[in-house]
Amino acid sequence: MLLIAGTVPYEDFPLTAGTVRDEGEFLSVNGRSFSRTQGTGAMIGAALAATSYLKLEEPQAVIAGDTGHGKGSREIYEYLSQNVTRLSPEVLALHYWLPDMALTRQLCNAIKKCEKRPVMIADAASMYSAKAAGLATEFDIFTPDATEMAFLADPDATHPAYINKHLFNADITRTPELVRTAYQNKDAARLLLVKGATDYIARDGEIIATVSQPDVPELEAIGGTGDTITGLVSAFVYAGLEPDEAAIIAARANRTAGKLAQATPATRVSQVIDHFPAVFSENLCQWSGVCFVKGENDDD
Amino acid sequence: MSFFKRRQKTEFEGGGLVLFREVQEAMKAEKVLNRGGYVVRLVAPPPELRRGCDLAVEINLVEQPGIERVLEEKDVDYLLITPLRTGTSEILEIVKVTDFGQWLMVKAGNMKLTFDKESGEIVNTSGGGCPDIPVMHATLIGKALDEAPRPKDIGFTLCSLMLDRALEESIALKEGGK
Repeated sequence: MLLIAGTVPYEDFPLTAGTVRDEGEFLSVNGRSFSRTQGTGAMIGAALAATSYLKLEEPQAVIAGDTGHGKGSREIYEYLSQNVTRLSPEVLALHYWLPDMALTRQLCNAIKKCEKRPVMIADAASMYSAKAAGLATEFDIFTPDATEMAFLADPDATHPAYINKHLFNADITRTPELVRTAYQNKDAARLLLVKGATDYIARDGEIIATVSQPDVPELEAIGGTGDTITGLVSAFVYAGLEPDEAAIIAARANRTAGKLAQATPATRVSQVIDHFPAVFSENLCQWSGVCFVKGENDDD
Repeated sequence: MSFFKRRQKTEFEGGGLVLFREVQEAMKAEKVLNRGGYVVRLVAPPPELRRGCDLAVEINLVEQPGIERVLEEKDVDYLLITPLRTGTSEILEIVKVTDFGQWLMVKAGNMKLTFDKESGEIVNTSGGGCPDIPVMHATLIGKALDEAPRPKDIGFTLCSLMLDRALEESIALKEGGK
């Protein structure tokens, strides 16, 4: 099971757990619809595009409405802590929520009781709370952007708003140095995918790959295009790829979809997600070795 | 085994402190914040952070903007809000700007706001990861810079505060561009 957890931006959306369904412009879980907009919706939308293409079981999701008060976030933490051993996901991807160090610690303790430890992925505020609580090494993959990489490299920051200004000013080319610092401080997951003008994939403090083509700088301005990368990584790991391979292919696929969408800073992330099937069809076999005989991957 | 075994409570780790001049104000703050749905607790501030009285309120630092708003609305007199870790830097004030030709992207901390140079319309926001950020995204896009609601007034988290910095700088850049 690929289990994705995060908040959706609605006031009256109760805690909901179940299989993700594609409803065109929207997604749904247990009959409750939500948008593929910036945040958990974009991440789930990208993951679903990948699992659908690969003919895998759809992602399972635990989502709750939260507009910033934290109530929905706390419901997700509690649900996961109480149910993760029963659900026993192969991949657990955590996303938008109100960062809460104690509840993240509680969740990590619950995960230790799983018969088989899931592959743990965190992005957005779930990554903030993991790092702030000193739990980064419990995770397999973090997917920070350049500023969030500076946050991981600042041993005292508990949120990117409080990072040292010299680290904030760091050029993307200083990413390898920030990566080493974060690993030395034990504030990094086993694998980092640092999203930026050049995407860096790092393991154990060393850069093992970079992705810079196609070059679509406009993607940085589009809300949700970092979330889609995390969704793709999660789905590719669930498909059986090694985390570093999943990260490289996710970065390539996101850029290529942005290019196909002819992205401008005014593009919506759903327009990028809509191009993933074409990107997979054209490139996934060559990039990953996961190939389908012609017709095998058609619906009818 | 006891039939009345208590449910184990999760220990609170907030990462931020509200400091006060008067003990009574700290107690009042705890009350109004609890009523507002915030998880907080009264603590003695560590000596290196102590200013004013010996009682502080520990908060989830990420919720700083929402908490400041509640304290101001309820007339609670406080000195300042500070990270609990003493080595923490000041909150980020600097921004970075990227020129996309027709559009400018302004980045403050982990948040980015992009607007059309000619019309001043906000065309995108990106970055962050707190639950109020997708709400800001939906609220701000399509609005003119000077007509958009301020994230610091409607958001609850430090991500919103950073987005507010980006909006503030964008307004200044647009006005300067005139």
